[in-house]
Amino acid sequence: MLKLENIKKSFVQPDGTSVPILDIPDFQVNAGEQVVLLGPSGCGKTTMLHTIAGITNPDSGKVFVDSVELTRYSEAARDRIRADKMGYIFQTFNLLPGFSALENVLLGMTFARKKLLPKRAKTLLEKIGLGHRLNNKPNQLSVGEQQRVAIARSLANQPKLLLADEPTANVDPRNQQHIVELIAKSCREENIALLMVTHAMEVANQFDRIVRLDELNRVVADARASAGTET
Amino acid sequence: MNVFLIAWRSIQHRGLGSLLTIISMALGVMMVVAVLTIHGVVDTSFKNNNSFGYNMIVGARGGGLQLTLNSVYYLSRPVEAIPYEYYLAFCDGETRERELQRSIGFEARQTIDDTQALIDSLGVASCPVSHALIDAATTDSYRYQQDEAMRIRKDGVYRRWTHIAVPMCLGDSYVHPSTGDAFKCVGTKPSFFTDLVLDVDTEEKFEFAQGRNFIEESPEHGYFECVIGAAVARRCGLGIGDRVQATHGDPSSDSSHLHEQNYTIVGVLNGTGTPHDRVVFLNMEGFFLMEDHAKPVEDDSILGAVDRDEAEDDQDAADIDPDLVDPFDDENDTFENALQTTPPPAVGNQREAETDDLVDEPLPPVNPDLQRVPLPVEQREVTSILVRTSLKDPYGLLPDMLPAQIGEGDLERTLDWTPFRPVKSQKAAQGVNPVSEVTRLFEGIVDPIRWLLLALTSMICVVSSISIVVGIYNSMNQRQHEIAVMRALGASRGKVMSIMLCESILLAVAGGLLGWIAGHGLNALLSPIVEDRTGVQVGFFSFAPGLELSKLPVLENFASVLGKASVSSEILLVPVLVLLAILVGLYPAVSAYRTDVSKSLGK
Repeated sequence: MLKLENIKKSFVQPDGTSVPILDIPDFQVNAGEQVVLLGPSGCGKTTMLHTIAGITNPDSGKVFVDSVELTRYSEAARDRIRADKMGYIFQTFNLLPGFSALENVLLGMTFARKKLLPKRAKTLLEKIGLGHRLNNKPNQLSVGEQQRVAIARSLANQPKLLLADEPTANVDPRNQQHIVELIAKSCREENIALLMVTHAMEVANQFDRIVRLDELNRVVADARASAGTET
Repeated sequence: MNVFLIAWRSIQHRGLGSLLTIISMALGVMMVVAVLTIHGVVDTSFKNNNSFGYNMIVGARGGGLQLTLNSVYYLSRPVEAIPYEYYLAFCDGETRERELQRSIGFEARQTIDDTQALIDSLGVASCPVSHALIDAATTDSYRYQQDEAMRIRKDGVYRRWTHIAVPMCLGDSYVHPSTGDAFKCVGTKPSFFTDLVLDVDTEEKFEFAQGRNFIEESPEHGYFECVIGAAVARRCGLGIGDRVQATHGDPSSDSSHLHEQNYTIVGVLNGTGTPHDRVVFLNMEGFFLMEDHAKPVEDDSILGAVDRDEAEDDQDAADIDPDLVDPFDDENDTFENALQTTPPPAVGNQREAETDDLVDEPLPPVNPDLQRVPLPVEQREVTSILVRTSLKDPYGLLPDMLPAQIGEGDLERTLDWTPFRPVKSQKAAQGVNPVSEVTRLFEGIVDPIRWLLLALTSMICVVSSISIVVGIYNSMNQRQHEIAVMRALGASRGKVMSIMLCESILLAVAGGLLGWIAGHGLNALLSPIVEDRTGVQVGFFSFAPGLELSKLPVLENFASVLGKASVSSEILLVPVLVLLAILVGLYPAVSAYRTDVSKSLGK
């Protein structure tokens, strides 16, 4: 479902120097597989997700999503592929404040080349226990409810791959478990491959496979190795 | 969800900011709409009045524009007056004879004829006394007048070029006693309503909402009937049978005074949306008989020479208002003897006084208005004559040709038939083509002012549009994050750009719509003021006049397809506003287009 080949990404600093962020020789997630990407802050988790989603293009290497080589396409085409094949859950939920819970879910459908299905949006919200909050704006929802709306939105287009960027970071421990279960269950039901970034071990332990990005990402691994050598 | 709904939600989310932006836009559009419609309606009304049923105005020499404003719109201070005979120059022989019989000159000639007949019947024609008597009366001017006598039965010199001619007298006003509202009084003939039309193209005539036209001499009210315009009736609550009194002169000045004479309203006009709605139309015969309206003649010795008792069976001698008659002139000594031997005749005054000497029994009470006799022609003056030139003018030359001819003093020559002329009479006349005058007024003054106003109000619109940019720009920080989220959800750069543009367009259109309604509301509010100043009614549903599509830029290339199709200039506000919104929305839209999703998601 997802395949990364020799992905390299660096950022240019204001002084002109280039700082490498990612160097991933090979990474793969199978269809329906649920993978947790574990790693400390600054190890490139979010950059890796953005690269997979096609929000940023790698400096080199290839990204395959559902057998489509994303890195070959223009930005506009990548936007379309992202809308059609991927769902995205943000750490800060990122619900649009002017839209109701239902509209936020519909917004996820709006940008895909699929028919707008208000019924599916309602069903998704009902499934996650927000059937009574359809017309509430984000500021009228609790933090946990907001994250659930974000989950429903990410599932709206029946994606092949769900990218979740620390979805439990901003919710309380009781809700954390509930959110994780909800994501895992939803992906299982719809056979969606999941790649979830987290730095919480208790969350990571609940999934099929745990990948440590600080080991996968050569930039971080090399840095750590050289730091260890120095010491 | 389409882009408009997404944009609308964004506007709703920024409720107060969006509302302020919309209000700012609405104020600008309101001003533009008000200026466009009021100017447009006034402009149309002014120009419509050009096809009012006449194409030449004859009045005293002076400013042609003032004469036009006076006669067509009842605006500005009244110009000088001209002799009534100028009006007769446009009349047929029958009318002229009927009118001129009510002249001092005609009666004087009648006296000589009668004297000659008496001498002949007595067979004393050879008597030297008879010669002396005839010689004394028949001066050179009389001989001339006798020669001219035949001419007064002929058509006036301008008759053959005239289709309709209607005289008008201005200078009085009607002031409503309780509200203080002032309306112009116009002395005119019944033909004002029967012969003149409201619109030359449609031949639309005046219609009466109530009652009838006044008649020159009514058995009920004598010469004192009047017709009022629709606005006068509405504003003053006047109707048929009510009586009104005119105020002489400018009602706002100290020198004005109320005429004692009452007029009875016999007709109320239907609303025409023109200055006529605000006018009280008085029967001209009665108008002449009101105090200060008769012009004193120079040669009042003749008044004594004419025994009008004999000329008019039912007329007794009457008082002569000493103010109306000037003291003797040296030139008029010829008639001194006649004055000494003959009692003064009645000239435009009540039939009264000496009736007691003639009738022993007391008379039953009579309406004094029915006792008045018309003012002699020589003492009459009119402010202007509205002329519709002959319809047999295939090349339309008369409206320009006749004023030129009148300007050469053609009308002045028609005064030679009588030696009796009012003191300080303004004899020099001019003819003006009202179309040319109004066009000149508009091109020279009104149009530049309108363009200036439009430019200013358009600037307000531009400033309001800038407020849209400011409004959107100020929220860009928050928006960048929202845009990044939308992008992460799969929205393309073009999509987010179009959402921003839609938001700008929606703000402009909402402001425009609100402004349009407010502008027309303002029109309705300003309606009384506009009506007061111009006599033109402007209401909520008054729209700016149509613009021919084929005359607009770009569209001129499709003139053959568009033909004469036109749209109200207000409709043009829609594309202009949308264009403006797109222009001002471009900056935030481009900003949205350039949003760095990775960075903005991290914010």
